[in-house]
Amino acid sequence: MALRVVCYLNQFFGQLGGEEKAGVGPQVVDGAVGAARAVQQALGDAGTVVATVICGDNYAAEQAERAVAEMVPLVAAARPDLVVAGPAFLAGRYGVACGALCAAVQAQLEVPVVTGMHAENPGVELYRRQVHVVQTGAEATRMLDDVKRLVALGLKLARREAIGAPVAEGYFARGLTRNVVAGAVAADRAVAMLLDKLAARPFASEVPRPAFPHVPAPRLIKTLEGATIALVTDGGLVPRGNPDGIEALNATRYGAYSIEGKTGLDAAQYDNPHRGYDTTWVKQDPHRLVPVDVARELERSGAIGKLHETVYSTVGVATTLAHSARMGAEIAEKLRAAGVDAVILTST
Amino acid sequence: MRLELRWTDVDDLAAASATRLVGKRLEVDLQALGTLLATDARLTGIRLDLVHPGERCRIGRVFDVIAPRAKLDGGEDFPGVLGGVARAGDGRTLALAGVAVVATDQQTDSVGTLAVIDMAGPNAALSAFGRTHNLVISAWPSAGTARSDYLAAVRLAALRTAVDLARTARDTEPDRVEVFALPPSPRVPPEQAHLPRVAYVFQIHSHQRPTGLDEGILYGDPVRRMLPTVVHPNEVLDGAVLRGFMGRSVTTWATQNHPMIRALYAQHGRTLWFAGVVVTVAQATEPERVRSAFLTAGLVAQTLGADGAVFTKIGGGAPHVDMAQSASQCEALGVKTTVVVEDMSTDGSAEGMLLFDFPGVDAMVNVGSSQEPITLPAMDRVVGADDLAPKLLGETRATYGGLCGAIEQVGATRVMAEVR
Repeated sequence: MALRVVCYLNQFFGQLGGEEKAGVGPQVVDGAVGAARAVQQALGDAGTVVATVICGDNYAAEQAERAVAEMVPLVAAARPDLVVAGPAFLAGRYGVACGALCAAVQAQLEVPVVTGMHAENPGVELYRRQVHVVQTGAEATRMLDDVKRLVALGLKLARREAIGAPVAEGYFARGLTRNVVAGAVAADRAVAMLLDKLAARPFASEVPRPAFPHVPAPRLIKTLEGATIALVTDGGLVPRGNPDGIEALNATRYGAYSIEGKTGLDAAQYDNPHRGYDTTWVKQDPHRLVPVDVARELERSGAIGKLHETVYSTVGVATTLAHSARMGAEIAEKLRAAGVDAVILTST
Repeated sequence: MRLELRWTDVDDLAAASATRLVGKRLEVDLQALGTLLATDARLTGIRLDLVHPGERCRIGRVFDVIAPRAKLDGGEDFPGVLGGVARAGDGRTLALAGVAVVATDQQTDSVGTLAVIDMAGPNAALSAFGRTHNLVISAWPSAGTARSDYLAAVRLAALRTAVDLARTARDTEPDRVEVFALPPSPRVPPEQAHLPRVAYVFQIHSHQRPTGLDEGILYGDPVRRMLPTVVHPNEVLDGAVLRGFMGRSVTTWATQNHPMIRALYAQHGRTLWFAGVVVTVAQATEPERVRSAFLTAGLVAQTLGADGAVFTKIGGGAPHVDMAQSASQCEALGVKTTVVVEDMSTDGSAEGMLLFDFPGVDAMVNVGSSQEPITLPAMDRVVGADDLAPKLLGETRATYGGLCGAIEQVGATRVMAEVR
């Protein structure tokens, strides 16, 4: 059965006009117009472009949320089996709009989507994780070739067929991992890779090196004697009963625990749900993880100005980078608001 | 050191009145075996089940899998744990192919840490144990038996069974004989002196969880204070190293058939010179990790004189970093390294695959994501987990890590995570 396909184009590829028409709002035309004809040509008998949604670049860029909210119902009304957006080549506003509309259609209508753009289009970095973005040239000189690749992948998505690796299918890596079955066991692959490395032959690591950002430690602008110091840990200290329900692994929560009036942590009042290390010793004496005892002594002797009266704690094991970054930012914001100058961060 | 693994193929497993090999059919006197295993006062209510490839059966509560092995001309079986402490790795050892002993854990309530084996359906092909005839041992702790003692008893029962089964091949001409012979590390014949020397760094336990007193891992030692140690690869193949009680994507079976040691033996004298094995444990604290890393690097680079080294880990995140830290120390001494990692991401993002970024540790093979969901189809029978049968009988969701034998961290499996 021929699939119903909806195309999305900007004012230029939709043949409304050039930059002077970049402000026009979303509209829908029956069938294939402008660049959507190339999509129809690539589809052949496999599908029919039933509608083309067009929106001006400036309208889509300057009122992005509104534009997407207006376009999704236009797409839905055409009851598509597949949405093809662009290709946007190196056109930045257009690429971002293609990505945004595809992401919204996929999420709200659960309709398969595909778009295409050049590697340097800002839409790639913004949307490649969410939707399939096919790599195209910088300009429309090879429009039909590029559109054919978009359509080929789009048909597979619409038919729920297995999608190959990014290089094989021509889309930008989405940064998602998926288990597949390799041709040889891991041990054989490891020995082969080592022999390549030893012989200075090229080898392809199966895991990309992470681009962990380097975070330089900020300078303490006060003397320690005048500074307020906080204790923060990802080692899993919680009051007995774990009142915040901090997860034993893959944590999404952290706790804020008062140490007001305490010269130390009484082991009987604390627990530790952390599943990533042997917690025997820190349960026996929580100071091995969060040194409130020593910090109070430093406070008393005047070596530090003041010990912050709240300890922040979470469980750092198998925690996603996204949750780590969010929790870190939230804790930092609270510490800053409380006038804390420096943090002793104990990890395990 | 010269080890002969004398393989006998088994293509059927059946209950009978005597334990013996009839052609390629292994007959087991389940009653006698049950009586033998029941002599351990820590266990009660022994149950033995036989399951077969292709049978619509799911084994639940899987704790560990043991390969049937027995020494033929004396020597100790699983020395230090079942047999007395004695050196392994030399002489003739009986081995049965096509059959495995599966130990289950009937005690723990956190069944999420245990695994299943599917004998049919799409998941059977992912695991070596979906293709073997399996003798499944279920045993319950007797009153007052502590957790660690129970697990020690369960494992001992499985080791006893494995030896019992392998001994049936005593008077049989083996189907094939595998020979593992490696001369002392420095003695390289001149005509092979040009080959790169390659060592294997085998992390055998993680101190994320302290070992029990009876949790023998290296010749019966619970490796609590173990520092990096050089062993002969044959010792590993011949029962000197057992998995501890934390079974995250690793079985004793895979250690007995160690894929990395086999891969290095396969290339030995051809494309590389197998320089030896260093066993390590993943340490609990930073000073211990640093100490272990430079001691490992010293053994690899200076004692074994290796040009290259491959690494595997066990356990979860801390061992992953521990392994990479050791590899990085090797690279600093000029030793090229390749490490076998799990995909550590818990949200399926490529950014989360690794927990380290050390200089030189740039050649990585991965054994897939144990967190990725997998569908377990409905089965006709559940074995080893009566209490979970209602859930395990129907179609249910699990993860790759919950399918025993789908991911073996020592590199025995083909599942890998691909970045898309």
